[in-house]
Amino acid sequence: MAEEFPVVDLDSHALDAARLLAEHRLPGIVVTDRTGCPQSILPASEVVQFLVPSYVRDDPSLARVLDESMADRVADKLGGKTVRSLLPDEPAELPRVDADDTIIEVAAIMARLRCPLVAVMEGKTLLGVISASRLLQLALLPR
Amino acid sequence: MSTVAAIAVFVVAYLFIATEKIPKMVAALAGAGIVLALGVVGSEDAFYSHDTGIDWDVIFLLLGMMIIVGVLRKTGVFEYVAIWAAKRAKGSPLRVMILLVLITAVASALLDNVTTILLIAPVTLLVCDRLDINPVPFLIAEVLASNIGGAATLIGDPPNIIIGSRAGLTFNDFLVNLAPIVAIEIVVLVVILPRLFRGSFTVDPDRVADVMALNEREAIQNPRLLLKSGLVLLAVFVAFVAHSVIHIEPSVVALLGAGVLVLISKAQPKHYLASVEWETLLFFAGLFVMIGALVKTGVIGELAKLAADATGGNALLAVMLILGVSALLSGVIDNIPYVATMSPLVLALTNDIPDPTHSEALWWSLALGADFGGNMTAVGASANVVMLGIAARAGSRISFWEFTKKGAVVTVVTILVAAPYLWLRYFVLA
Repeated sequence: MAEEFPVVDLDSHALDAARLLAEHRLPGIVVTDRTGCPQSILPASEVVQFLVPSYVRDDPSLARVLDESMADRVADKLGGKTVRSLLPDEPAELPRVDADDTIIEVAAIMARLRCPLVAVMEGKTLLGVISASRLLQLALLPR
Repeated sequence: MSTVAAIAVFVVAYLFIATEKIPKMVAALAGAGIVLALGVVGSEDAFYSHDTGIDWDVIFLLLGMMIIVGVLRKTGVFEYVAIWAAKRAKGSPLRVMILLVLITAVASALLDNVTTILLIAPVTLLVCDRLDINPVPFLIAEVLASNIGGAATLIGDPPNIIIGSRAGLTFNDFLVNLAPIVAIEIVVLVVILPRLFRGSFTVDPDRVADVMALNEREAIQNPRLLLKSGLVLLAVFVAFVAHSVIHIEPSVVALLGAGVLVLISKAQPKHYLASVEWETLLFFAGLFVMIGALVKTGVIGELAKLAADATGGNALLAVMLILGVSALLSGVIDNIPYVATMSPLVLALTNDIPDPTHSEALWWSLALGADFGGNMTAVGASANVVMLGIAARAGSRISFWEFTKKGAVVTVVTILVAAPYLWLRYFVLA
């Protein structure tokens, strides 16, 4: 059930990662280190958080007072940032499954880590990914 | 033996509180637990005694106000006023700073300082972002104003709540005695702001339009909730002021106000209880038990005798000493444990001063010294620490020394203004 997916490096530009997510309408993206080994999954919802200024995160009611001109510039907040800076300081567990895992095993990992994407691995090699929508598609197939 | 245990536990716990090696609440509760386990104080002393036990008036006044503020902050009124002020200042950074400082000072007198900073800091960052100017001077100026403004009322700053309860001073006593000097201090602060933050007021004229485009009306999310909260808050303050007529303690007023507001706003427990700082309340409880052990074993009484001997019964000297020492110590340790410790000592000192005006001046010097002293360093008051955290999250890190350079100047100035006020009002003109 694994699909091919683009990956990004820890030190690549955050804006490039955001563009990949946007262009392919991805729920998240696999982040690898320099050797290509997956380190983390960056959900699109995490990237969205960085579009919001810290003062709006502290006081959400301020989002309402901003006009369209400010809204048009939200993506500027990602400028100069790397993918590494978008990840939590304490590295989260990599949501990974093996190629022969069942749907229920994959679903269990997604549910436990609340992640819309899991990496399908064979040893340290990334074979592909499974998104939540792909998992649902397979789970809902007529028997 | 009990005396040695009470002193040892207090000193060790205080060291942990001051250095923040472990959470303050844990240090205070551990200290309280040890004096209780050793039998220095018993449950009667800790839970039922006014002299040696937990001051429930302080705990419940804080709890009630935290709940009221928790509902009030959902209304967006604070954001409305701050943005309105920034627009009235027409984007001039100095005028924006002065107006935000004035709003912060007034709000701090009515709400606790930490809440005020939590409300004003995000909107300040927004305005500075729009003007493309450094928000650090604005944030520092606001926290300085918050610590000064909080001194004006019984509920403005936790040290005042402790003093009010221990000394039996009412909301009106604070208003009549401290609000005038606080108003003077705020004027002084406004006058020195341009010098204090020289070079921080340059703005690209094109950015001013960005501030003027902000829509403050959008900040008010629920006008009905605003009306209800406003009415309850007004009723609470009327009851505070009318204490001498209705004889209901501020703690009871705050709890009743919180109860009514929760009922009429139909707020969910998870929302209004989230604004209650349980750690702070437990910290206070632990602190009161540890200090109660010092009172019960006679340590505070002995210290008061020493202090009385040192001042030779000279009330003016005692007032000035308390003012200076409080400002100095509150700058390096949190002013809440400091005032909690000093209150029984000052109470004992007042018993040796025959003139009631002079003895009351001791309390005002403690309040002014502790409240204004909180400005001296970045760790002098909880509001300072909270503001530094917000600034760091916004990518505008403020170092300890960056804050302290400004805070120390303001503390010295405010204490130099407070000293002649105390002398003139309670000794020359009394």
